[in-house]
Amino acid sequence: MMEHNTDDDDRSDRDRTRPSSRRGFLAASSTLAASALAGCTDMLPGGGGETSGSELSVGDFRGSGPLVEQRSAPEGTSIDDLPDLSGELTMYLGGGESGLYLDLVDLLEQIYPDFDVSPQQDSASNLANRISVENNAGNTPADVFMAVDAGALGSVAQDGNAASMSSEVTDPVRDAFKDSEGRWVGFAGRARAIPYNTNELSASDVPSTVAAFPETSAFGDSFGWAPSYSAFQSFVTAMRVIEDDETTRQWLQSMQDLGVTTYDNEFAVSNRVADGEISAGFANHYYSLRVQSDRSSAPIDLAFTEGDAGALVNVSGAQILDGTENKELAENFLRHVLSAEAQEFFATRTYAYPMISGVEPVGGLPTIDELNPPDIDLGELSDLGGTVDMLREVGVL
Amino acid sequence: MATGDRDRVAEQSQGATTERSASRVLSGVAVAITLLVLSPLAWLVLRAGEMDTARAIELLTSQTTIEVTANTIVLVGSVTLLSALVGVPLAILTVQTDLPFRRFWTVTSALPLVVPSYIGAFAFVSAFGPQGHLSDLLAPLGVEQIPAIYGLPGATLVLTLFTYPYIFLTTRAALLSFDGTIVEAARSLNHTRWEAFKRVTLPQILPGIAGGGLLVALYTLGDFGTPSIMKYDVFTRMIFNEFGARRIDYAAVLSWLLLAMAVVVLAIESRIEAGRDGAYVSRGARRPGEIKLGVWKLPATLFCGAVATLGLALPIAILLQWLVRGGVGYSDAGRPFQLGFAWNSLTVAAAAAAVSVVVALPLAYLAARGDSRVSSLPDRLSYVGYAVPGVVLGLALVFLSLKYVPFVYNTVFLLVFAYVVRFMPQAVGTTKSSLLQVDPSYVEAARSLGYPPLTAFRKVVLPLVAPGIAAGGALVFLTTMKELPATLMLRPLGFETFVTYIWRVQESGYYGQAAVPALVLVVVSGLSMLVILGREQQNGA
Repeated sequence: MMEHNTDDDDRSDRDRTRPSSRRGFLAASSTLAASALAGCTDMLPGGGGETSGSELSVGDFRGSGPLVEQRSAPEGTSIDDLPDLSGELTMYLGGGESGLYLDLVDLLEQIYPDFDVSPQQDSASNLANRISVENNAGNTPADVFMAVDAGALGSVAQDGNAASMSSEVTDPVRDAFKDSEGRWVGFAGRARAIPYNTNELSASDVPSTVAAFPETSAFGDSFGWAPSYSAFQSFVTAMRVIEDDETTRQWLQSMQDLGVTTYDNEFAVSNRVADGEISAGFANHYYSLRVQSDRSSAPIDLAFTEGDAGALVNVSGAQILDGTENKELAENFLRHVLSAEAQEFFATRTYAYPMISGVEPVGGLPTIDELNPPDIDLGELSDLGGTVDMLREVGVL
Repeated sequence: MATGDRDRVAEQSQGATTERSASRVLSGVAVAITLLVLSPLAWLVLRAGEMDTARAIELLTSQTTIEVTANTIVLVGSVTLLSALVGVPLAILTVQTDLPFRRFWTVTSALPLVVPSYIGAFAFVSAFGPQGHLSDLLAPLGVEQIPAIYGLPGATLVLTLFTYPYIFLTTRAALLSFDGTIVEAARSLNHTRWEAFKRVTLPQILPGIAGGGLLVALYTLGDFGTPSIMKYDVFTRMIFNEFGARRIDYAAVLSWLLLAMAVVVLAIESRIEAGRDGAYVSRGARRPGEIKLGVWKLPATLFCGAVATLGLALPIAILLQWLVRGGVGYSDAGRPFQLGFAWNSLTVAAAAAAVSVVVALPLAYLAARGDSRVSSLPDRLSYVGYAVPGVVLGLALVFLSLKYVPFVYNTVFLLVFAYVVRFMPQAVGTTKSSLLQVDPSYVEAARSLGYPPLTAFRKVVLPLVAPGIAAGGALVFLTTMKELPATLMLRPLGFETFVTYIWRVQESGYYGQAAVPALVLVVVSGLSMLVILGREQQNGA
């Protein structure tokens, strides 16, 4: 279960100035960025324990751009402190967005000439289905499955197709973001958020619970969602787990009555919010950061609900597949993925929430503790079947 | 078809036995090929069978299923009809009239087929969607709102724009090959142009239109990308959602419904084609007199121009705009495009084309020369593969190959096989229409000179149908180049192609990076279109 206080002590001494409100952080972060010196990222000193061995420095892992400037060195286990990677891994990579992760693999292959990854990329659900079908027919050739959606990992685990990892791998990650039996572990967080158009709305127009959205007249005929997107379905599943089916169905129905516009994905939702086509919508947090990184003057900001399904924090995660002959290598690889350098990579290049306490999220993003996500087991979100049924019954899908 | 000719052959006692055994071998080969290309459906039987019957019935009779079925039927019907309304006039204009720049319009009318429909749909939304470029352009003129393009109208329009060339091409082929003297005869009997068209031309080209319409209808049935982007709920979207929820058995049951609809489409087309007696067969020695457009010259040119603008210029303009605007979103780029990806695309597409034309030949020959409806069954059934959604085919082949032929798993062989299952029907169609144009008496003559059946075929028939085979190969090539879902599922580890790269960068929002590969993809596929049109010149000369 979610243990919000785990890292508090650890963090207190490094806490930097943040917007005190959970709202309006993007505006704050761009002011911060404007006053920052440009082009200093490559000169940053290496982080914790980074000395010799690899020829790469933290700067090679870190992204660039206004949202990334003025960061302190990441802390946590450095790649230098981990055993060398050597051998070949077959990796399934779920989600088109996960293409970015290939850059991390490239960096690791650069550090370790004897390490070689054969990636196979497809949508997360296709690969989860594929692993199931492969094991149905024989044995999956994959050693590791990385996916942008914990639900896909959960379903593979529930089918009995995932191996348990040693605690050495999963220890740095808080309980909420890993399977209790070690069958998957999160490596990058994605928070559900409400992007809104700052010309149309102010932060106070966004209610603090999704339950109040249908009665929010400012959203009438001007709200967007992407119900075929897996992260949205996970959010609805979370609502079913936290509340119940009837409440969720009624909520969906009243959102329909509000006049919601359907989009293909949440990057589209966020872009249309910035365009003013809709005044607000449901989307993962990083899409708005990407919109802002692309068009710095875009009138978009993020609000978060509190303690309900709307504030769900889901993860990109990884698991080791049952029957692999490379379990040791796979575990060592995942330890690298959870190293200080790799976590800095996810935080600064994909704008994700880092999974280890030594690395901060970019810009002025509120920390996970400030977010107040619901108390929920992400593994429970693997059953999307009932959610799809419900979305269909209500006519959302 | 000319059953009398066949009877005459059979009556000749000499060689009748070899003839019969040759045709038995041919039937055997055709049946084997058909079973092989339909084998992936075995997995659907297995998976659908796992589902509780009561649940399956509940799913199939649910309100949503019924609505989505209706939506799908409406979409397939409207796309096919609209494609005929665009494709047939374009074919007539470019073949039979004095339209200015006919060659140019022929090429532009055929080329939209090379644009992947998901890119086309995307371009359409960027241009005509709310907040799109068009509304940006019109805003200063005081136009506040443009009509919504989402839903049925948008999906119909986009699918039509990128699939009508099937009808355009098959109708052209029919127009080019039929005997113009018949039309002249009709005209000399004081029929008006319209009557001559209705009573003489139309019946002649109807099977051609139906052949193209079949491909349009089956493509529409199996396409997921366009209805999804245009927000119109069809079967593929429902299947996709079930896969997304990881309920494979549900998806399998729904896939059966989709295939049943494909069979209905095939049956309809068969009925139209059954009345084809005489069609194609009279290979025109001379073309009908050119229709003078007169005052219609300008409207006709504008029509060609409008279709070319929407189907070709618009997507290319949007791709160029991506290029200028550059990548967005993340601070860094992903893995860059490599020439090897292009090479991979080209080689698998060429292999798929080569295998397809070879296996299409026996099916087409049996359907064209066979003397009963049964003999065209393998040809008909092979079309089912064209309507199978790529994801369904992908998972089916994952299972079957791992289970029975594990050494082909994660190799290009499996990938090429998947392409053949999906796209070979296109080669069957063009090969069959070419075969129908070969006068059977040529073969009889060769046989009477003592050549065994295969030799007679190779020496007499093959040279005559080679252009048709090449055209079929080119169609398979260009559709393989743009195929995405089965490619993602079945490519060997680390094997990237044009489309897998475009998919990855587009999903991550790097439209700028997708632009160049997408443009190159369109250009390369466009070159293969020249093969198809080149074949016509040979035929029509």
